[in-house]
Order: sequence, then C-alpha cells, then structure tokens
Amino acid sequence: MKKFIAMFLLLMAIGLLAGCNRTKTLQMLWWSDGTEGEVMQTLLDQYKEETGVEIELVPVAYNDYEARLATMITGGEAPALARVTEGHLNNFKANILSLEGVYDESGFTNLFFNADGDVISLPMDITANGMFVNLDLLDKYEVNYPELGDPVWTWSEFETEMSKLKGKDDVQAPGIFDHQAHRFMPLFYQNGVKLWTTPYSASNLKSAKAVEVVEMLMRFYDEGFLPRDAYITKNSASLFRTGQYGFHLSGNWNVSGYQNLEFNWTVVPMPQFTNRATILGGKSLAAFKDSGAEKEAKAFIAWMAEGEQHDQYTGGVPYLTPRLGATVNYGDFADQYAVFLDEIANTSNDYVQDWLNQVMIPGMYPIINQFVEDAASGSEETALELLTQLEADLKAVAPTS
Amino acid sequence: MKKATVWQYILAILLIFVFLTPVFYVISSSFKPINELFSANPTFFPRNFTFENFQNALSRGNFLVYIGNSFIVAISSTILAVVINTMSGYALAKFRFKGDTFVMILILSTIMLPLEVIMVPIFSVLRTFGMYNSLLALIIPAAATPTGIFLMRQYLLTIPDEVIQSARIDGASEWKIFTKIILPNAKPAIATLAIFSFMWRWNDYIWPLIAISTRSKYTLQLAIANFSGEFGSDYSSIIAMSAISMIPMLIVFIIFQKQFVQGTVQTGMKG
Repeated sequence: MKKFIAMFLLLMAIGLLAGCNRTKTLQMLWWSDGTEGEVMQTLLDQYKEETGVEIELVPVAYNDYEARLATMITGGEAPALARVTEGHLNNFKANILSLEGVYDESGFTNLFFNADGDVISLPMDITANGMFVNLDLLDKYEVNYPELGDPVWTWSEFETEMSKLKGKDDVQAPGIFDHQAHRFMPLFYQNGVKLWTTPYSASNLKSAKAVEVVEMLMRFYDEGFLPRDAYITKNSASLFRTGQYGFHLSGNWNVSGYQNLEFNWTVVPMPQFTNRATILGGKSLAAFKDSGAEKEAKAFIAWMAEGEQHDQYTGGVPYLTPRLGATVNYGDFADQYAVFLDEIANTSNDYVQDWLNQVMIPGMYPIINQFVEDAASGSEETALELLTQLEADLKAVAPTS
Repeated sequence: MKKATVWQYILAILLIFVFLTPVFYVISSSFKPINELFSANPTFFPRNFTFENFQNALSRGNFLVYIGNSFIVAISSTILAVVINTMSGYALAKFRFKGDTFVMILILSTIMLPLEVIMVPIFSVLRTFGMYNSLLALIIPAAATPTGIFLMRQYLLTIPDEVIQSARIDGASEWKIFTKIILPNAKPAIATLAIFSFMWRWNDYIWPLIAISTRSKYTLQLAIANFSGEFGSDYSSIIAMSAISMIPMLIVFIIFQKQFVQGTVQTGMKG
C-alpha cells in the first residue's frame, strides 16, 4: 500500500510539473487525411533550422476541428496559424488576418478574399472531382470506357456502359457517388448551368437543363444504378474498397487512399452533357488575429509561398498544386493525377468562380447539400419542385447587392 | 442461494457472446492487413496475420507519451475522486446538518447538466487559474463528481449508524472512524467508483479536446482521433490503437472484479 501511495505521489508530481511548465509557442492547428502532417512537420523543422523560429504542429481530428478552433479563439488562445477549408475561412473571417502584401498572390489559383478585397489565406493544395473505376469488374463484364486523350463520353453513354454491371452476382450496384453536394455540382456545370447569371440577381436553377440533371440523378437512385444506402451511410469510399462497385465519383484524395486495394482500378475522364467541368476544393493556410505572434505567422506564410517550399509540400501530399506554373513530381500517382489536371484544364473559370462564390456565402452550402440529399433519398417531389425550393432557399440567404 | 439452471447458463453464455464479439473482432482486425479490413468477404480471424497496423500507428506519433499522459490523468483523478467522493458521501450519509437535503439535491441536480453546458464556465475557470493546456485541467474538474458522491452516499447509508455510535462511545476520533470503520466497509463501493472513474477519464475525449492544445500533453484518445481526416480515416491505425487502449481497462477490471460486482449489486449502479 505504501509503495502504491509513493508511486501515486510520484506520478502526481510528474503530472503537476508537466502541467505547470507552460511557455507560449507558435502553434499551427492541423488535420491530416494522409501524409500532410508529416510533410508539414518536415517543413517546420526546415524553417526552424533556417530562422530559429519554432512552430508547433497541433493535430486535431477533422470532425472536431472547427469546435476546437472556435474554443481556442473565444478562450483567448487563438493559434498563430491553421490549416483551413473555405468553410472555415467563411466562419472565422472576423478572426483571420489579411495577407495583403505578404506573398505574391498572382502566382496562385483558388484564392479567397475578404470584403475589402484582401487575400486572407495561402492556397496550399487543391482537390478536383473525378471518376474512379474498378478495372477488374469493367473488364470482366466488357464495359467500355475512355482513357485520357480519347473522346469524352456523355452521361448517356456512361449509363449505357455501366448498366452492363446491373444484376451481376459479384456487383452490388454499378457505382456510387460521394454524398457531398460538392461531388454532384459539376453535373450542373457539365450541362452549361451556372447557378446564378449575374451575382445573385437571377438564377438558372429552374432551367430545362438543370431539371435534366436532377431528373437523371433521381432516376439513378430510383433504379438502383446508384445505391441509396451509400448516400445514407456516407461511406462510399469504404464501399468502393470492397470491389463490388464499378465506379466511384469522388476526388483526387482517394488516389492515395486506394493504394493496396485487392483489385485493379484507375481514374477515367468524367462524363459530360454538353461540356466538361469539375469543381475545385482545397485547403489553405491562414493566420489569426490576437495570437500574439501575428508578425511571425505572416513571415512563415511568406516563406511557405516561395516556390521551393510550396512544391515540396504539394509533392508529398495526395493533392494538386494551386501554384501556377509549378512543376510538381506526383510520383506513383502521376498517371491518375494527369486525368484530374486534364479535368481542371477543361473547366471554364466561370464555373470555378461560380462555385467558390456559393461556398463563401454563409448558409448556401448547407442548403445545396440538403437539396442533393433530398434528390438522392427518394423524394416524392419532382426535380422541378426540388429546384424551385432550392432557388427559394438560396435566394433567402443570397446577398441582395 | 438457488442453483442456476441450464437455461440460465445458456443465456449467460449467449450474452457473453453478444458483448464480447465486437471486442474480439476489434482485436482480431488489428492484425489484419488493410485490404482485408475492407474485403467484401470479411473473416473473423486474419487471413494474413500482420503487425503492420501497430507499426504504422506507432510511427505516426509519440504514443508512449500519450499513453503516459492518459495514465497520469486516469490514475490521479481516480484517486482524487475516490478520496473526495467517499468523504462527501460519508458526510451526506451519516451527518445531519442544516440544509443537508438541499445540498444533496443540489449535487444531484448537476447530474442533469451535460458537459457541453458547463464546458465554457469550466474552461474560463481553468484558464483563470492558468491550468489551460496542462494535465491538471483534466485531473481537477474530475476530482468530485455528483455520480460519485451519490454512489458513495447510497452505499454508506447501508452501514448501520450503531456501528459508528459504538465507535464514538469507545472514544474513537472521527478520522479514525472514517479510516478504520467506514473505508474498510466501503470497499465494494470504492472499487466500483474507482473502475468507473478510471474508465471515464481513460475514455474521455471531449474535455481533453478542449483543454489541451499541445501534442506533448495529448491523451491516447485524442491521439487516436487524429487518425480521422476530412475525406477518410486511417481505420487500420485506429483499430490497432483502440485494441491497445483496451488493455489498461481490462487490467483495472480484473483487479477490482470481485468488489465491483458486489458494489454494483449493493449500490444499484449500472455501467
């Protein structure tokens, strides 16, 4: 018993010492889907060696990331830097520092600005939507598909080919779409539908072309071409990994996630209606107000924006580079990434900007998400009725000027 | 005591099977390569046994530190909780003072407040005392819990007042009564409280997420959660580390098993 008490007191002492030893260091809040944390840590070590400034990488699970950031900011412990999505940029814009003049923004794409027109983050990586296919299943059932450089298939041709997988014993469903609206929205752009003609004055959401897109999606789910349970359970990547689905409409992050699968797979060009389109996503690095290290945070961002460091980052993570004119070696993923880069190259900047505008307006993205969920969940409403509701809901939150 | 029938044994075995299958499946899956984890035809036991998941997980963070932090927090707060809750429970069970019922009701009413409601006030208090981002921030708020006080009070009510009164007549001091009579008699309840307290602190995730902001002070649960990203999760590492995180709980339960069963029966506590 005495030994036990002595051990406890020792542990308490260690705990208390660990607790009391507080020093203010620069912190960078971070989450990882793959190698991002390790690559960033290497760069931070390099930065420390060059400048003597130490920045601590603080990993947080993505699901709790926003809550953690909010608590740190409201608790007066704002991090100096944080990896952010466009949603975070939107939600924390009051707390984010302007980076105007910190780096040369003309060298980057996927930039985000505040109301004063100042750039507010450094784009670190970009993602693009694309189509993964299970080559074993496609070859077994003689499903034809285009490769990079071939004429791009239409959604109608895609449906005809992939329907060859219907009713097969080793196939659950021809394919799956990710549940996020982000993955579905390129279909609008592929049919030439911009959500709004001029900023928020008139929408195209009730046009015949928009209806055509939504009717196709609803039919896909109604006829079992896409399984409804994949949408509901939101685990499409895990389902594709089972090898029982022919295609997966997802994004380039899965290129690394799908290594070591039991079957052969590749990325093929996405189908189109009248034109090709993908939409971009991406993460950036933002500096925060009231961290007590604003100057140091800006200095790091300026360093990170330099070509060498930035290319080192994008070369080691499963994403594409937002740095214009960069030559990044994507290593083992080069063939698959070439398809994504081709999708981006064939996407009109009008569509890219149209999408970025929507996601930067508070409330719009959740409404679009709900709309896609309603369409995929066997709604009794028609495509036009769903689109009419979507237009009304978006109008309610759209800026009036 | 009546002997258990064959059917009762069969029911018990079935229940054991239902409760233990997921646990064994996690342990078994932690030795499967990633392609087997997502296989369309999953098997209970690994087809190709591997330690790769453990190696990958351990290479992605200083897990010895995280496990050490979890132990410091769980053991310290459990001992504090046992001491404070037992004393409080004893006072509320055996001493009559003005407002004792009101105090008990006040304590019980806080059971109804979820952590999310009191999170911000506790955070502010800890920050004021300079405990933010320290292990003390995880130990101190858990030192006294309404559930623990209630559990101890309910158990100590079963000890006859006559025993305490006799001790007083024999000249025993209040401290001696507490340490020599109450504590030995309260072993089952203390074991129950110790197990629950250790389990709560060991598995705690939300509070450490808010109170800790440095990697070197992360607990095991915080570190495991970081295997989850925006587009997917590193399930093989999560399963491997989850299997490891079960071990201390198993050891604690094995040590206190006998008293725990006795304690749960007598205090009416359920896990």
